[in-house]
Amino acid sequence: MRVLVGVAAFLAILPLIALILFVLLKAVPFLAPSFFFNNPLDQEPGILNAIVGSLQLSGLTVLISGPIGIAGGVYLSEFASPRVVAIGETAIDVMLGVPSIVAGVFAYLILVPVLGFSGWAAVAALSILTLPIMMRSTQEVLRLVPQAIREASLALGVPVWKTALFVSVRTALPGILTGVILAFSRALGETAPLLMTARGTNAENWLDFSTTMNAMPIVIYQYSNAASDLLIGQAWATALILMVIALTINVLVRGRTVNSRTA
Amino acid sequence: MRGVDMAGLELRRTGGLSADSFFRRITGTGLIILVVALAGLVVAFVGYSNPLWTIQSPIDFLTSSTWSAGTINENGEIVDALYGALGAIFGTVATSLIAVLFAAPIGILAAIFLVEFAPPRLAAPLTFIVELIAAIPSVVFGLWAAGDLSNRLRDTIEWWIASSFGRFIPFLSEDPESPAADSVFRAGFLLAIMILPMVVAVSREFIRSVPISLREGYIGMGATKWEVIRDVILPTARIGLIGGVLLALGRAIGETIAVTMVIGNAEGVPSSLFQPGQTVASKIASNIGEASGPIAIGAMAALGLSLFLLTTVISLIVRVLVRRFAVAGGRS
Amino acid sequence: MATEKRKTENTTTGAKDELAQAAARPAAQAAQRASASEGDGGRLTLENVSARYGAFRAVKDVTLAVRPKSVTALIGPSGCGKSTLIRTINRMHETLPGATVSGSIALDGVDLYSSDVDPVRARRVVGMVFQKPNPFPTMSISENVSSGLRLTGGASKSDIAGIVEDSLRRAALWDEVKDKLNQPGTSLSGGQQQRLCIARTIAVKPRVVLMDEPCSALDPVATLKIEELIRDLAAEYTIVIVTHNMQQASRVSDETAFFSMDDDRAGYLVETGPTAEMFTNPKQALTEGYIQGRFG
Repeated sequence: MRVLVGVAAFLAILPLIALILFVLLKAVPFLAPSFFFNNPLDQEPGILNAIVGSLQLSGLTVLISGPIGIAGGVYLSEFASPRVVAIGETAIDVMLGVPSIVAGVFAYLILVPVLGFSGWAAVAALSILTLPIMMRSTQEVLRLVPQAIREASLALGVPVWKTALFVSVRTALPGILTGVILAFSRALGETAPLLMTARGTNAENWLDFSTTMNAMPIVIYQYSNAASDLLIGQAWATALILMVIALTINVLVRGRTVNSRTA
Repeated sequence: MRGVDMAGLELRRTGGLSADSFFRRITGTGLIILVVALAGLVVAFVGYSNPLWTIQSPIDFLTSSTWSAGTINENGEIVDALYGALGAIFGTVATSLIAVLFAAPIGILAAIFLVEFAPPRLAAPLTFIVELIAAIPSVVFGLWAAGDLSNRLRDTIEWWIASSFGRFIPFLSEDPESPAADSVFRAGFLLAIMILPMVVAVSREFIRSVPISLREGYIGMGATKWEVIRDVILPTARIGLIGGVLLALGRAIGETIAVTMVIGNAEGVPSSLFQPGQTVASKIASNIGEASGPIAIGAMAALGLSLFLLTTVISLIVRVLVRRFAVAGGRS
Repeated sequence: MATEKRKTENTTTGAKDELAQAAARPAAQAAQRASASEGDGGRLTLENVSARYGAFRAVKDVTLAVRPKSVTALIGPSGCGKSTLIRTINRMHETLPGATVSGSIALDGVDLYSSDVDPVRARRVVGMVFQKPNPFPTMSISENVSSGLRLTGGASKSDIAGIVEDSLRRAALWDEVKDKLNQPGTSLSGGQQQRLCIARTIAVKPRVVLMDEPCSALDPVATLKIEELIRDLAAEYTIVIVTHNMQQASRVSDETAFFSMDDDRAGYLVETGPTAEMFTNPKQALTEGYIQGRFG
């Protein structure tokens, strides 16, 4: 029995190791400074506009959906009646289950005709995906705040809204910020919605959301089928960068709780 | 100073909109925005898929494997257009089932290991590593699979299954001379790897939540660890474990990019699992660029609507299940 | 105040004598305080107060008068609604979904439940100390004490430091924390945390301080310190304390109110009176039974 479950656990970890090793192997030959600092149309092509584009798109997504998600989470935890909480949680559950391509198609159908293939449409699609994540994580973290300190605050004659803000949220703040950072990391890795909204581009783009933008996942997808070895190699290199960023963020943000977690 | 002199003055309500009410509304707006977005999704997909139903019925959509935009006749009308998504639906079902077939047992067993057998100092880091897999973007998985995993699977598991069963079950057959570059099976296997962390994480939570008193009671009667797992933990956690698998299933159904990169985008229902195919998600990704005109777009919207409905139903089922588990006293 | 060693004898009469002796002390102090000025008020009048959780009535028709600047103990077996009752006094009971209160509770003649009254403001004049110390985890010691003031705008910034020191002194905690005011509130021991909560409560200058079993989570040494503190605080505040510990009630209170539960599981007031009398010569058989330890 012990062997069986041990093997299962090993199998669960094996793909991660295999993947990391393989990507590393394929990517390293293509990691030159020009890769990071040049644009696709330069003499020595690089993916700068994709790196910049990813950061811009995910950043704006989090900037927009963060406050909305946090507000909704605060509402569900501190103000809503039990019936509203049930309805709200169901809605969040459904939204969490929406596949990323559905969000992308939605933006494609509704926003692209109006805004064109643009960063705005991409941000809208990504926000549909990150909004429920942030609302759920905020609500969960607030749930961990002991009711006893809310009572202490109310008993002092502090109004409910100040209790919610200066006691509950203040106590839960680290967890809320963690949720935001993790949502950012998630947004960085999304591909399908970007393919049909921001589309990818070879041109430089600094904060111009009204037109097409490049992003790392787009590069990986588009270059993977490219004809030239250089581009295929850069697909691997980009995959490495993206993976390193995602893993680093996760380790930094959630790794701290590994030791304090009760196994 | 306040509180010292009373006579009711310090206690009086302030008229008008209180800060409490204002704050309540502001934060409530966040929730409203989410609900509106959800409603918007529903309306958009239903609305945009409507034109498709003018030329064919939903039954045709679900049961026909012909996907053709038709031709334009001399009157400028579109004729012979038939958007049958059966091939894609088959692919979605097949890949998801393959994914769950592999991920469910391995995930649950791994979770049992992490909770019941792993040394305490090892358990937390190991769990963390398994969950890290979930942080890796799907496109990276797709790239790796296309570049490496796909071929490995073709040469090992696929070959083994095909040579063992391919003669009896055509569905599992493969031409040994020219095995396909992409296949439905490989997409399913890749999905299994990608959804595994979710199964492990959810299973772990539910296994952990089985009350210690139940375990101790059984051990007190002389049961071995395995018996405790089989007779106490698994039955108690069963609903939650099923919920976890369903959640993972929902994820597998919606996964697009990784699948698109390994499944080969072939029309219709494949003759074998080891042949290329498509899923609803990969079909949308592959075909949406070319779709123009309300009917073609309607077909895309109909595909999206099917995905949306499917994942929503799964989410709701999971929610009901988990609620029932909590009520049954599983969760502390 | 010297704490005398108690002989624990098992005879009922012996126990009665002890309780009587212990009960006599606060009565003497109360007499002292009564002669001092009553001008600042703190008189509580409860009339026909009932408290419900939805349809279930947890407290039935309590009528009770609490004299200003005294200590009143609410005793009785578990489940008799004592905690529920004191939560009606500072309007905390109604913050639970479906919870309602009927009857009137007047503080110095002002009905706290009148529709004119803002419950939030009512809670500033009726403070509460909870069973388990609950300092705010993200705040330092001094921030904890001043939290009520800062969050309700009760004092100007320049006054706050002075009020913090004053409150900590009154809570008998100043000497122990004066050098570490910036440390987290949770870094203190249990007994110190409870005194911190008391300091926090009195910093907003309430007239009444409610205490819900404030010592039940503390060790005996910490408990004794807090009991001494309660007797001192009664010079300034009206104190209503719920306690399961009869000896504590007799040590600490001027008046005692005994509660029991009727057949519908509603708590009701059986008897109330000066502590010394309640413990030596209760009027109701039920009261005597509880005090003698025959049930509860």
